[in-house]
Amino acid sequence: MKSLTSYSPAVAALAALVMAFILLPVAFIALYAFNDGGYLVLPPKGLTLHWFVNFFEIARFRAALQASLVVSAVVAPLSLLISVPAAVAIVRYRFPGRDLVNALIMSPLVVPGVVIGISFLSLSARVGTGIGLLPIMVALTCFAFPFAVRALVANLHGLDPRLEEAARNLGASRWKAFLFVTLPQLRPGLLAGGIFVFVEAIDNFSIAVFLTNSRTTTLPVEAFSYIRDFDDPTVAAMAVLLMSLSVVLVFLIDRLVGLDRFLDLK
Amino acid sequence: MPLRPYLLLLPAIAAFSLFAAAFVTFMVVSFQTATPGTVLTHGPATFANYSAVIASPLARSTALATLRLAGLMTLLTALLGYPLAYVLARSTSRLLRRLVLFGLIVTFLSGGVTRAYAWLIILGNRGLLNQMLVALGLPTVRLAYNETGVVIGVVHFLLPFFVLTLLAALKNIPLSLEESARNLGASRWRVFWHVVLPLSIPGLVSAASLSFAGALSAFLFPELLGGGRVHMASNVIFETILTDFNLPRVAAMAALFLVLALAALALLGSLERRTAKLWAGATR
Repeated sequence: MKSLTSYSPAVAALAALVMAFILLPVAFIALYAFNDGGYLVLPPKGLTLHWFVNFFEIARFRAALQASLVVSAVVAPLSLLISVPAAVAIVRYRFPGRDLVNALIMSPLVVPGVVIGISFLSLSARVGTGIGLLPIMVALTCFAFPFAVRALVANLHGLDPRLEEAARNLGASRWKAFLFVTLPQLRPGLLAGGIFVFVEAIDNFSIAVFLTNSRTTTLPVEAFSYIRDFDDPTVAAMAVLLMSLSVVLVFLIDRLVGLDRFLDLK
Repeated sequence: MPLRPYLLLLPAIAAFSLFAAAFVTFMVVSFQTATPGTVLTHGPATFANYSAVIASPLARSTALATLRLAGLMTLLTALLGYPLAYVLARSTSRLLRRLVLFGLIVTFLSGGVTRAYAWLIILGNRGLLNQMLVALGLPTVRLAYNETGVVIGVVHFLLPFFVLTLLAALKNIPLSLEESARNLGASRWRVFWHVVLPLSIPGLVSAASLSFAGALSAFLFPELLGGGRVHMASNVIFETILTDFNLPRVAAMAALFLVLALAALALLGSLERRTAKLWAGATR
């Protein structure tokens, strides 16, 4: 019987090459971060943690790291608080203007980051708040919460509304039925949406760069200006820290939701 | 109770209103004049910013370069991403699937700065690639600080998005269709060309438009890997505000860029709907 696999070895080899292309930079940046010396030679002459120490010793990086963590720690939960009721309204109710609301809520996703950055720069100049962490949090929440809405809408679509109705028939209040029946089933959507928004908030450059100045910066903006001024692997060390964070997050996703389920909610 | 859904939407509407307020302010600013020495702007309303931007040769060449590069990046992403998504969708090894998915999601979540910097290390003039070429006695190549470097970097950035989106569409194509075609004697290539590819076109178009939107708004990669020689819309806007804090002028540039991006995406959107309608019957 002839083999019925749908792809030929040549296609498999091509796919492997593409995967190598995707993973190679990640591997090199890790090598570079632990490399003893200003630039990388293969094989590395020696290993060091010097660049990690350097990253934490530079006050500007410490401040930027702290700022980014604060921003994401505010933006991610805030986005979920906005998104959960919105997703419930979109999935569970039929009301005039539903399609319009749905389209408007998703519209920030199609606007280029630079345009959003300029918009919030104009707004903060007009309102007089100036630039800084508060406008960054506001801008990133407005920009990123639709990601969470999308994940939660996909999640809610897969749930059986009769479970909540049964709880209601058994005497639970609307609020109680939601809290104890529906919300626990939304865990995958909350996790997927929350992680998406969190990562977007930590990594965002194109909006944040317009709202930072020499006193307040976020990690990506600080890394960008460091790369322009210095030629050493400190930013590679930062990159390794961020990649470790994403490895931890992916393990978490796999454990709690499963990778395939996560992708359906993306 | 008809009021309830609107109450549930209240926080989202509030967030959207802030977004809209920022948007309106920026549109208003684009018709104003900068007050010298301040961040403030004042009226009366003028088209001067728009006519200045439209008249500048840089703006026109930037618009063309942005569309051309975004098209090229999308094409390369699709050519490289399709085989990977296909193998991932059809692989019988659970372990392989999980490993590849793991790698894709980690890359996807590890961020733009990380990956732009990685390419700088590899492609730079004293970068890894050139060191290897020197070690092998070959001439060095200039891959960073020009369009090639930017294209490589952005394609690498877009690939996980593209593959993960196309994967969802490919998984929906029933394997039995391919098996029947193979059993009836069709070669793998014929099966791909006559069964898989046509059925995947709606998914392919939506994955490609997602990539195109990402490529159009590319900012960090051209900024770091372009070495000031690659002018895509976002960079030109950013550099203009750095060199000369003329908010109204920059707002007009951003507004025109937005119109360009939305027009291109609307075109792709209508293509998406048309292909979905044409091919949808078969996938369901």
